[in-house]
Amino acid sequence: MKGKWVLFVTITSVFSCLLWMFGMGWALFDYFNCSAKSVAEAPAETVETDRNGIHIVALGDSLTRGTGDASGKGYVGYLMEDLEKRSDQKMQITNLGIKGQTSVQLAEQVKQQEVQRQIKLADTILITIGGNDLFRGGQTLAELDLQKVEGLKEEYSKNVDGILSSIRSQNTEANVFLIGLYNPFIDMEDANTTSQIVRDWNERSADISAKYPKAVFVPTFDLFQLKVEDYLYTDNFHPNSEGYQLIAERVAALLTW
Amino acid sequence: MINLVQNEMIKLVRKKRLLVVTIIMAVLISMFTYAQFRESERVQERLGTTDWRTTLQQQIIDIQNRLSGSQISDEWRKQLEIRVSQQQYYLDHDINPAEPGAPTFVRGFIENSIQLLLPLMIMIVAADLVSSEHSTGTVKILLTRPVQRWKILLSKYLTLVLSVSFLLLMFGILSYVISGIVFGFKGWNAPVLTGFTVEAGELNTAGTHLIPQWQYILMEFGLAWFVSLVVGTLSFMLSVLIRSTAAGMGVMLACLISGTILSSMVSSWESAKYLFMINLRMSDYLQGMAPPIEGMSLGFSLSVLAIWAAAALVISFVSFTKKDVY
Repeated sequence: MKGKWVLFVTITSVFSCLLWMFGMGWALFDYFNCSAKSVAEAPAETVETDRNGIHIVALGDSLTRGTGDASGKGYVGYLMEDLEKRSDQKMQITNLGIKGQTSVQLAEQVKQQEVQRQIKLADTILITIGGNDLFRGGQTLAELDLQKVEGLKEEYSKNVDGILSSIRSQNTEANVFLIGLYNPFIDMEDANTTSQIVRDWNERSADISAKYPKAVFVPTFDLFQLKVEDYLYTDNFHPNSEGYQLIAERVAALLTW
Repeated sequence: MINLVQNEMIKLVRKKRLLVVTIIMAVLISMFTYAQFRESERVQERLGTTDWRTTLQQQIIDIQNRLSGSQISDEWRKQLEIRVSQQQYYLDHDINPAEPGAPTFVRGFIENSIQLLLPLMIMIVAADLVSSEHSTGTVKILLTRPVQRWKILLSKYLTLVLSVSFLLLMFGILSYVISGIVFGFKGWNAPVLTGFTVEAGELNTAGTHLIPQWQYILMEFGLAWFVSLVVGTLSFMLSVLIRSTAAGMGVMLACLISGTILSSMVSSWESAKYLFMINLRMSDYLQGMAPPIEGMSLGFSLSVLAIWAAAALVISFVSFTKKDVY
């Protein structure tokens, strides 16, 4: 009995040994002989996905990501919790926010094929953008050069226009919410000037979104106008959990489909 | 010669070494399967979808967010950037990098165990092939036979080669069967991209081509076999040199573990690439991951490992034939 076992193990070993040698040879051959057979790009219209439930796509910067929120949910997370309580429908959220993203980068992002597919499937699209364009990590405030701010705003307008028209060309039905900026520096010196700048900026965003059907500009300036320090994270720039909840409540009140 | 090898095989089977290692593998694979299952469930719950494109897109976004953080080392940043471009490439070409199913699990498992887990298993078998003869005293009986010493050692080495092959086969079968119960047995023909190369920290997709997953797995197992064989040969040498099995195992264990630690931090110590334990992650070259030290390639790792193994063999044979046994 033992003898048979040994024979079995030996024979299996010999065969597997040959198999692995062959595998290794193939690996080396494939690695060193990779004549560039190009891989076909995916055809643009390939995928059918189930469209049941409500599909929300969130685009933008650190606000979409939830930077500063202790639980990491961000306004998108709180919004989802609220919606799940109110509705029985299946919710699907795709959060494509990237920290530090500017409007130029977002304009690039919405051109990606998979992002476009997500946009196509969406019932609601949420966008937070512009904070990094305007404040540039506090640099704008340090200089406070109105001429320069004007230039930034023109640049931003062009990008947002591109983003919205790209979204509309993919999806004519979804409601698009462009969430406005608040002034995180409202407690500091030059508050009047900075608030003026942010208000002008928001006005521009509202003007641009008005050009597109079913696009809604959502102001947040007033939410953070009084007692701003209560709603900001320790970096004095991003909202904290309470701040995010305020934004989520405001957006939740507007959502319909 | 065949009789000698047969004799050694009988000893190995009697000692139940292969059985023990197979059982260890079965237990570990079950654990990993369960962990993987929980992980995929969690991802599904978080994203509310089973669509792999959405999942992959989300992974890309997650990595991009990590990249935009400031407290991230340059090394890690490079690794992540390469991973993002690779995943983006998969997405752009509408290929699922992780088709659900047992073959995908096998593929991921061999990639993750090639550096440590698999060599450890091999070591258990290889480390006492010779030294156990010393500890049980049977070496004298063996050497008084009218057979030349080098033949005895060669038969032991061939046994090692056979058992490495056998264990790797067991590894493949067990991981396929166990994970298949959970994930399903399909997916052998799923397309896999290979041929990515990393040049100066950038992902180069010029040589990229598609192969079916079974071929990819076979290629990976071939490389894993080579790696296991090298590790086995080194343990074999220690087994000849050091009479105590425990000491031999200890040395090998230290080398293997230091390898995993080193490969995450050696990028500035360039000559470390000549150490065998840095070169064990051979399957990464098929995958197109950035090597731990710039300038390493499949050919390089292959030669380094081959030289180490050849040297170990020479030392083993010289030492065994010359050694006084008392």
